[in-house]
Parts: sequence; structure tokens; C-alpha cells
Amino acid sequence: MGPESQSQIKAVADRFGADNLVVVLGAADAEALEVAGETVTTGDPAFVGPLAGVSLGLPVVHILEPEVKQQVDPEVYSEQVGLLELTLDTEVVHEAMRKLRGE
Amino acid sequence: MRAAHYLNQFFAGVGGEEVADTPPHAHEGAIGPGRLLESLLGDGSGIATTLVCGDAFFNERADDAHAAVEAWLREAHPDLVVAGPAFAAGRYGVACAHVCRIAEELGFPAVTGFHPENPGRLTYPRAYAVPAGRTAAGMKDALGLIAVLGSKLAAGGELGPAEREGYLPRGIRRPGYREKPGAERAVDMLVAKLRGEPFVTEIPIDAYDAVPPAAPIADPATATIGLVTSGAIVPKGNPDRFKRASETRWSTYELDGREALSSDEFECVHGGFFNLIACENPNFVLPLDAVRALEQEGAIGRVLDFYCATSGNDQRLADCARNGREIASALVEAGANAALLVAT
Repeated sequence: MGPESQSQIKAVADRFGADNLVVVLGAADAEALEVAGETVTTGDPAFVGPLAGVSLGLPVVHILEPEVKQQVDPEVYSEQVGLLELTLDTEVVHEAMRKLRGE
Repeated sequence: MRAAHYLNQFFAGVGGEEVADTPPHAHEGAIGPGRLLESLLGDGSGIATTLVCGDAFFNERADDAHAAVEAWLREAHPDLVVAGPAFAAGRYGVACAHVCRIAEELGFPAVTGFHPENPGRLTYPRAYAVPAGRTAAGMKDALGLIAVLGSKLAAGGELGPAEREGYLPRGIRRPGYREKPGAERAVDMLVAKLRGEPFVTEIPIDAYDAVPPAAPIADPATATIGLVTSGAIVPKGNPDRFKRASETRWSTYELDGREALSSDEFECVHGGFFNLIACENPNFVLPLDAVRALEQEGAIGRVLDFYCATSGNDQRLADCARNGREIASALVEAGANAALLVAT
């Protein structure tokens, strides 16, 4: 995750408090999810951006997870995520998310 | 201990691909992951200087980049050079490998970190590289290993073999004694395997992908067959200079309507078996005589008038896969709907 995105996440967490935030990831491959997930929980693993050594501990979910899908207007979901959901190997995403959350 | 650290533009925080042409420039002290490395190296050690260079610059203007690395190291005169780790990043891996090579040529111990498939390992196989994951998620683990191995290298001690010290194998064999002869070790391994107990192989082999076989030919009598051999049957004199092992290429050779392969015209240059018999009768490896007989009987439609060959002995899996794809395209283009690949 680039330093600019890290900076924005840090600013939002500072403003609203980490207890009031959930991170919804949208990356499609396991490696990108691992890096993004780790960045917003234990800190930037690459030690590059403002979240290096900063453990925000934010909860992480993925846009393709059923619990998240249920909370989105079906029309909006279909328009924005529908194609991704159809073409992606969703099991890879679910597996990566389970691993990320230590389940 | 004074260490010098090499980073690409991303890990130095300069930016991504849009600034990959960043020219080499040195910073005093540690940057980015260097700060974590510094804490892992412990008291009394530090990163004196960091060289940052864009991946595109390093690979496209190699001479300039290598000269900059050399000048940086001559000035810094470090006790240890750390490059990366580069994980599975290809261009970064190649850059880190060159940094290690230049450092060692100047007499400075160097260490990097690679995912085992990083092409940097081919650039400079002698580099000391710790195993790393595919992405920066494995940074902390990789830097931990780098700190341990780097401290040993900087102390000037003799390092043991890769399996004991934890670095990636460098392809170096040294004569030495083991407690038991090879036959006993092999039987020990076999017994352990049969009992379902753990054992460590002495000759690691890449895991093979499962390749789904093609569907059977509906009617062989109308099929056009292409002949393929990894048994290194080549026209006499080996015109493409195929290597006996570790070949990376393949080639096609004309059959010109021959009924069989003659030892006057063809030979075998495979180095993985006793090939004198195949030289005396190349049809044992590339069975043109038998295939022609089937063609005449009408059991198969026809045979393409050329064959594809490579020397399969100890060929890297990546080259095998590429050669296979290229050979398949050539056969399809020539109108084949089946290939005969005879095992050697």
C-alpha cells in the first residue's frame, strides 16, 4: 500500500478513532490482500509509509464477503462489484481473509 | 558494525512505477525498512548510508547504475552490504544481485533476500540470499534472517552449507565427509519414507505441476502426428550446439520423407544416459521407423515432415514449460492434431 493511502487512513483513524472504523478491502489477489490487511492492523510491513511501526488494529473485511454484500444496496453492488464477483476466484479471497484474521 | 543498504525507489518511499527511472543517489543513515534492519542488527551496529535507485534505471542503464554502486561502496567502505530484500520482484532482484556481486568483487561481504523464484538468483547465483516471501508482508522475517547472516559475514567467519546456515543454495558443491556413505543414507531415507517419518532429501527437486492430459484423438487414422523428442536426437554434428544438460532451447529438423533415422545422419547428444546405443540407432529414441510403419498400415493419418527436439537432461522447469508451449504452437501451425513425445 502506497504512503499516500497510508497517510489518509492514519488521518481518518486519528479523527474518528480506530474503534469506530472498519476497513473494506477490494483487492483481488491473496498477496495484495495480505499486504493491505497487515498495513491497517499491525502496521506497514514494508516499513515505507506513515503506518510503519504503527499498529492501528483496524478490523478488516472484503467487499466480496457475504456479510458485507448483504449491507449494500443490491443494485449498487451489482453495478459496482457484480462483474468482479463473477470473474474472480472468490475462494482465493475468502481464504486470504480467513488467514488475515487468524481464523 | 557499519552497514550500507541498497533500496529501490518503492522501498525508499520515493514512489512506485512512475518514478522507477529515479537515478541512483545516496542518503546518510537508514531509510524505510533500513530502520527495522538497524534495530535487528543490535547495539553498536548501524546503517551508515543507503543507496536508492529506481528499478527501471538500474536495469535499463546498467553501466551507469553499476558505476554508481561501485563509487558508493568505495566511499562508504562498509563492514556489510545489505541489498533489499527483493522478495519476488524481478527487476529489484536483479539489481540486488548486482549490488551483492559488485560488493563482493570489492571485498565487502554482502547479503540480500529473495523469494526462491526471484530471477536475481540467476543473475548472481553466488550471492548470499536469505529466503523471503513473495511480498513485503514477509519483511520482518526476511530482515531477521538477513541480520543474523549479515552479522556472521561481517565478522569474517567461515559459513557452513546453505541447509545449516539458512541461506538459499548457491549451487556450490564442496568435497567433504558425511557420517555414513551414500547407500546407507539413501536406505535410511527410504525406510523413513515408508514409515511415514520425516526425512530431508539431499537432492531437492522442484515440485511438478499437474498437467491435465489432452483429450484422446477421436480417429488416429485421420490424425496428423508431430514428432517431439527431449532425447536430443540431432543431425550429425549438432548444428544448433545443443548442450548435453541444462539446455534452454529447442529446434526443428527436417525429416525429408525419410523412412527411418540413420546413424550416418543423426546422433544423440543427451548427457543424462549412456547414449552410445541411441547414437548407433537414433530410432530407439525418436522412433521414426515404427511411426512410418503405422503410417503405411493406415493406423495413423500422416506424420509431419519435421520433428522438434531439445536436450531434456536437467532442463529447468521454467524452460521446459516455455519450450513445450512453443513446440505446441509450432506443431499446431503446421497442422498437427497430435504429438508423439517419446520418453527417454
